[in-house]
Amino acid sequence: MDTLSEMLALGDIMARVKALRVPADALTWHRFSGSLLLVLLVLLFLSGAFMAFYYSPAPGAAYDSVDYALYSVPFGDVIKGVHHYGWNIFLIVLGLHLVRAFIVAAYKSPRQLIWVSGVLTLLLIPALIITGDLLPWDQNGFWTTQVRISIIASVPLVGDFMVRLIQGGPLTGIVALTRFYVLHILFLPALLIILIVIHFHFLKTRGLSEPLFKKGSQSKTISFFPQLINRWLLLFLAVTLVLGVLSWYWPAPLGDPADPTDSTFVPRPEWWVLSLNQLVTIFKGSLTVIGSVIIPGGLVVLLLALPFLDTSPDRHPARRKKVVLTAIVVAIILLGLSVMGYNEHFNGNVS
Amino acid sequence: MRARTVISAIGGATIIISAWILMLLQPAGAHTLLVTARYVKMAPQGLDDPVWETAQAAQLLVEGREPVVGQNGTVISRALYTDDQLFFLFKWKDPTKSITKQSWMFDGQKWVHLQGNEDRIALLFEITRINKFGTRGCAITCHSPADVPRKGWKFATKTNDEKGDLWHWKAARSAPYDYADDAWLTVAGNPTGSYRTTGRRKDAGAGGDVKNETPDGTRPLFMQNPAIKPSVPGFLLLEETVKITNYSMFKTGDTIPYRLPLKPSGSRFDVKAISRYEDGGWMVMLYRKLDTGHEDDVIFNPKKRYSFAVAVFDDSGSEHSKATEPMTMLFSR
Repeated sequence: MDTLSEMLALGDIMARVKALRVPADALTWHRFSGSLLLVLLVLLFLSGAFMAFYYSPAPGAAYDSVDYALYSVPFGDVIKGVHHYGWNIFLIVLGLHLVRAFIVAAYKSPRQLIWVSGVLTLLLIPALIITGDLLPWDQNGFWTTQVRISIIASVPLVGDFMVRLIQGGPLTGIVALTRFYVLHILFLPALLIILIVIHFHFLKTRGLSEPLFKKGSQSKTISFFPQLINRWLLLFLAVTLVLGVLSWYWPAPLGDPADPTDSTFVPRPEWWVLSLNQLVTIFKGSLTVIGSVIIPGGLVVLLLALPFLDTSPDRHPARRKKVVLTAIVVAIILLGLSVMGYNEHFNGNVS
Repeated sequence: MRARTVISAIGGATIIISAWILMLLQPAGAHTLLVTARYVKMAPQGLDDPVWETAQAAQLLVEGREPVVGQNGTVISRALYTDDQLFFLFKWKDPTKSITKQSWMFDGQKWVHLQGNEDRIALLFEITRINKFGTRGCAITCHSPADVPRKGWKFATKTNDEKGDLWHWKAARSAPYDYADDAWLTVAGNPTGSYRTTGRRKDAGAGGDVKNETPDGTRPLFMQNPAIKPSVPGFLLLEETVKITNYSMFKTGDTIPYRLPLKPSGSRFDVKAISRYEDGGWMVMLYRKLDTGHEDDVIFNPKKRYSFAVAVFDDSGSEHSKATEPMTMLFSR
């Protein structure tokens, strides 16, 4: 290693990496969500890069190229499955990561921007999902995109402009598919990496939040390399194995090829968007903007502003009753909307 | 430490439960009928094998097209698969058992064709993707091309890249040899030997039937070879016939089949069949290798889903059928 690092003139960097110390609980069996997110992100990038080798972003060829990658390339279905389950679990873990940060008040000074960069990352994921869903050019992806486009179009003043910007015209065709593809594999991942780098920058400079239940644990440290890296690699292997097995036995779905003339197809919303979808269902007609913009936008603003609204030094949830109670009420409402959405779209319909 | 343990356990459980819920919440098409083929280790032994009861029964609505509009029915379908074969069992009501096809009858002076045709069931899969077949089913291949009048419609695909796999069980012409005629579908044309312009093409190999008539078409050409015991009672197989040399031996009312099944072979004989008519309906079991190795057949990969459609024909010699909407077949373990 030393010889190689000397050859590559990396001696200084290696020395700095080896000297780097991190808190002992940066990655433990009870504190792993951040590292798990990084594992999932690497898997998403790798599996996405594999699929990009076979993908053709044109309506007449996209479906067949995905079909080929899935069923004709060895282990193609497993890799697609890793990508499919990867982003689903990424969203869950990211949500849990934020919930944990909220419970232990990790957003409080001096870590406000760690929280803000985390929330911005959370907001970026739906954009990646939305652009990714259209790519296979199957019925569900196509018609789900139509629903989403119609919701975006309902935004006052800028709705039509945004739709034209996103899909390059009034219809979802080859230009839209190309734009979604470029956004999905280039711009959005680049933005995601920038946000994560910012997140890590603030993590390094402001430090991990202190545990609520035990003080002084951060005085213990481990080496970044090799101790932390080895733990992370172990987690990487375990997650890869689990996702691989999951994808092998329950392959990622690929529906019928998209038929833009088949308006009878009723797309079902994905789990993460059930509550928002239900808001749009409740607020109809001239009130659509309440469900599509005002309420979701208000929640986003509230999340981003949280560190600047809750400035008390108290971190224990029992001493932050107002904030915790508000969060519980919002969570119950979102859960209730999701249950309503589930009943509407998944109970009693033809499968 | 105890609180941490509880929080970690809750976090881990949430991830696992959420992942499981995700699998249950896979968004799927909301209007496509699913037929699920269940995996079995041993192939079903005929129509009455109890293993069929383990396969999910799908009720397929078949709707009559012109001129049989309104004559709807139901085909009950079950599907099983093993490591190398796919099996279908179809049951449908048909009050008239039709297994002859315009047989000859001697009326004392001349030979005439009797009324009556045959019952059939046909399945269409995609060998390569047929545009919109997954959402429109047979309509996209039967009502083709859509921009010409109805009488100009041909059973065909629109481009050379689109190919269908047609399994055609015929009560009079393929059932005697226990198979469904295996054909494929491409753009409309008029290849050598065909009498009409459609996209139907025979798979490689032998099969089908020949018309039992003299060159002038006035009387039958073949009869049962008296030296051979009929292998399928009630049917006249070409390989068991001899040319009629003395027509004076026939008396008034004697009948002779008009369509003589040919011994099938090759890719055309890929889809095997077992059938029985009872209680006013047909039971037909069709089975085939998942991968026949022939270019004119769809390859079934149990990890994929397949669009397909079914049509049944009641005492019909034409394309008048009752057909399903597009359906999707899945494989499940």
